[in-house]
Amino acid sequence: MSRPTAPVSRRSTKTEYIETDTGNKISRRAYIEGKQNIMLGGKTVIMAGVHLRGDLCRKPEPAAEGEKEKPNTTAISIGRSTVVSTNTTVRPPMRLHKGQMTFIPMRIGDNVFIGPNSHISSASISSHVYVGANCVLSPLCIVKESSKILPNTVVPPGMTVPAGTVVGGKPAKILGEVGDGWGQGGGGEGEEWVEGGDLRALVRSVK
Amino acid sequence: MTTSFPSTHYACPCSDLTSAPPPPSSKRASIQPTSFQVNEEQAFNPHSPRADYTLYPLDHLLFCDECDEIRCPRCWTEEVLYWYCPHCLFEVPSSAVKGDGNRCSRSCYDCPSCTSPLAVTQISQRDEALLRPSDAAGGNETYVLQCHYCDWSTLEINVHFNKPTKITEQLVKQRKSRTSGSKENVSSEKAAITHDDAFANLTNFYEDQLNETVEPQNAYPGSPYSSPANLARIMNIYGGLSHNALKKTREKPQPMREARGHAEGQTSFSANDSDTGIIQRLQSFGWDATTTSEQCLSAPVNNDTRFTDDLWPSATRLRTRRAKRCKSCRHIIARQEPKVGSMRYKIRLLAMNYIPRLSIRPLNPTVTTTNPAFHLRPDMPEQEKLQPHQTKQYVLTIRNPLFETVKITLATPTTTPGKVASRVTILCPSFTVGPAGEVWDEALSASTQSASSDGGRKAAMASLTGSSESSDRQPEAGKIWEKTRNSTSVVVEIIPGSLRPPPSIVPKTEEELADAELKEDDDVLEVPVYVRAEWETEVKPGETVQGRKEVGGMAGEKVRKEVGYWVALGIGRIAG
Ligand SMILES: [Zn+2]
Ligand SMILES: [Zn+2]
Ligand SMILES: [Zn+2]
Ligand SMILES: [Zn+2]
Repeated sequence: MSRPTAPVSRRSTKTEYIETDTGNKISRRAYIEGKQNIMLGGKTVIMAGVHLRGDLCRKPEPAAEGEKEKPNTTAISIGRSTVVSTNTTVRPPMRLHKGQMTFIPMRIGDNVFIGPNSHISSASISSHVYVGANCVLSPLCIVKESSKILPNTVVPPGMTVPAGTVVGGKPAKILGEVGDGWGQGGGGEGEEWVEGGDLRALVRSVK
Repeated sequence: MTTSFPSTHYACPCSDLTSAPPPPSSKRASIQPTSFQVNEEQAFNPHSPRADYTLYPLDHLLFCDECDEIRCPRCWTEEVLYWYCPHCLFEVPSSAVKGDGNRCSRSCYDCPSCTSPLAVTQISQRDEALLRPSDAAGGNETYVLQCHYCDWSTLEINVHFNKPTKITEQLVKQRKSRTSGSKENVSSEKAAITHDDAFANLTNFYEDQLNETVEPQNAYPGSPYSSPANLARIMNIYGGLSHNALKKTREKPQPMREARGHAEGQTSFSANDSDTGIIQRLQSFGWDATTTSEQCLSAPVNNDTRFTDDLWPSATRLRTRRAKRCKSCRHIIARQEPKVGSMRYKIRLLAMNYIPRLSIRPLNPTVTTTNPAFHLRPDMPEQEKLQPHQTKQYVLTIRNPLFETVKITLATPTTTPGKVASRVTILCPSFTVGPAGEVWDEALSASTQSASSDGGRKAAMASLTGSSESSDRQPEAGKIWEKTRNSTSVVVEIIPGSLRPPPSIVPKTEEELADAELKEDDDVLEVPVYVRAEWETEVKPGETVQGRKEVGGMAGEKVRKEVGYWVALGIGRIAG
C-alpha cells in the first residue's frame, strides 16, 4: 500500500525491513539502543528514523554473592501489531525514586498507532490507541485504552488520558469521546484498517 | 468540515435537512427500483451551516433494531452510567456529585493558567529559605502544587502545604483564612463578600425558603412513613384527597421571599469598591497580567479573578460515561460495562453493522492512496487539488454488512449544491450487493480472490511497470465496475466546478457580489449521495416484528426492509 519513497535500486539489494521470528518488522534505518532492554510483542513495525532508547533503563541491582547475574530489566515493551511511524522517538521517562533519578519502564500496548515525528515519553500507552503525527507525549503521562490523540498535540507531564476520549491542543485537553464504533469496521479494500482497530493488515502492508 | 480526503460522512435522517427526497413515482419505484435524480432543492447540502451538526463518521452512529432506523445524538437520549475523575480515574457516586458538585474531591487539581494537571511537589529547604526567608516553619517539609507544563505553582499565590496528602482540606482552609482575613482588612468599607460565601448563603437561604413554602419536612413526625412522598402515596390510597391537595386547601401558598442582605447571600454593587487599586495594577502590569475568560471559568473560585496572579487551582472536573437509548422506543442501543476505564460493551448496536457502507477512491490514482489517518511518513505527498472543468472518475464501493442480498439505489443531484457547482454522474445508480458472511467465510474468499481482484495491487503493478493495463477497461454507463461477495463498486464521474463565478454582462449588485464571495471551505468538493437499501429478511421464530404489523410476522415469512440516508462524500479541494 505505502511504498517507501527510497529509490528502487536501493531496495533491490536489501529490503528496508528486517523481519524477526515473531514477525516484527524493524527498519534498517531505525536507531535502536539498548536492544537487550526492548521487548516487541510480534507483528510490530518500527519504521525508518525511529529512535528507541532502550539504553535508558533502571540500572540492575548488583547481584548478591552466590546469585546469578540478574536478567536485563526492560526499558521499553511494545505489544503486538503496533506501528511506530518514521522519525518518532521513544524515550522512557525518569522519576525521582528514593532520592535518585531512575528511568521508569515504558509499556505500549497492542494495536497502537503512533504517527510520524512524535516524541513519546509516557509511562504507558494502552491498546487500541491512535496517536497522530507531530505529537509530544510528555514524561509520565498515561494514555488509556481506545483513546485518540489528535495530530500536533502536546500531552502535558503527568496527564491521564482516560479511556475512550479524544484529546488535542497544547497543552492537551479532553475535547470529546471516540464513537461507540471506535476500532470497528474496516475489512474492505482501501479501508483495511481503521483508527483504534486491528492493525494486522496495516503491518502486513508495510514492506 | 473534513481536512483529509477522501472522506465519507453519514447523515442521520432525523433532521429536516436530511430527510429523504421524494421518489419520482412511489409505487413503481419500490417494485422495480430505477435510477432517480434529485433536484438541487431537495438535495442535502453538505455546505449548509447546519450540515456539520448532522454529519457523522459512521463509527459515531448507532442503529435501533426495533425502529429499524439510524440513531444519532439528536435522536437518542443519554443517561449517566457513572461519574469519574479523568485524572485519578476513581468513580464518584452520584450522591457525592449531588452533594459536593462535579469536581474531584481527591487531590486532583488543574493548573488555572494552562489547564494541565498539577502535581504535588516537594520543595527543598534551600529554595524555601531563599523564597521565604522570614518563614519560621523550618524543619518541616513543604509541598506545593506545581504545573510541569507552564511552571505555574501555588507559590505564585503564596500557598504551600505541610503534608502531601489531604490537599483539598489544606487548600480550603487556606482559602477560608485568606478570604476572612481580607474581609477584616477592608471592613471599613462595605465588606464585599466573596463569590463562594455568597453562593453558600444563597443556597442556605433558598433551601430554607423552599422548605417553608413548598412542603413541611414531615407532616406526621411520629408516623412510620419517613418520607413525605411515601406518606403522600399512602394518603392517596386510603384518603380521598391527596396530601398535597389537603395542604393546598388548608393554607394558601405564601409567595417566596427573595434574599436580602449579606447573610442571605445578596450582594449589591457599590461605586466605591477599590477600582483605583485595580486600575493601578492594570497600569503597572498590563494586559498580559489579566485573566482570560477561559481562566475565569475554570472554577467558581476564579470567576471574579481579574489578574493571573490571583488564580486559584481548580479542582478537576468530573466526566461521565453514558448509556444511549432510542428516543422513540426507549430501548437501549449502547451501554458499556459500568466500570471506569472499561471499554467493553454490554449492548452496542452500531449503524455500521446495519447499513451499507460507502467508500470512494480515484479510479486512476496518481499517488497510491492509503487511509489518510494513517500518515506513516512526514514526507507524504500533499493532497492534490482538483482541477476545475476536468472530468475525473472515481470508484464508489458499497459494502453490505447484512446477511441478505441488498438492492441499492443511489441518487445524487446532477450539480452539487453550494456555491461551487460541480457536475456528478453515477454511471450505474441501481444494483445489488451480495450478503456478508461469517468472518471465516470472508477470510477464505479473500484468500482465494486476492490474486484476481486485488485492485490495489494491480494499480501498484501498473504504476511500477508503466503499463496502462487498468485503463484498458473503460467504465460504461449502466454497468457495475467491480463486484466481490459482499461489495459492489460503481464508477462516478465528477467535473469540479470553477471557484470563479461565470462572467456576466449585467453588472452585479453589491449584495450579489457578497453572496458570490467564497468563504472558508467553500472550495471543498463534497458530493451528497442518497442511498436507499432494500432487502427481504426472514422472520425468525419467536421474533416479534414491531411497527410492521401490516406486513405480518409469521415465522419463516419474508419481510421487506428498507433504509435510506444521505452520505456526504468528500472528494477534495478545488484549485483556485
Ligand atoms: Zn438522528
Ligand atoms: Zn481525581
Ligand atoms: Zn500550567
Ligand atoms: Zn427505537
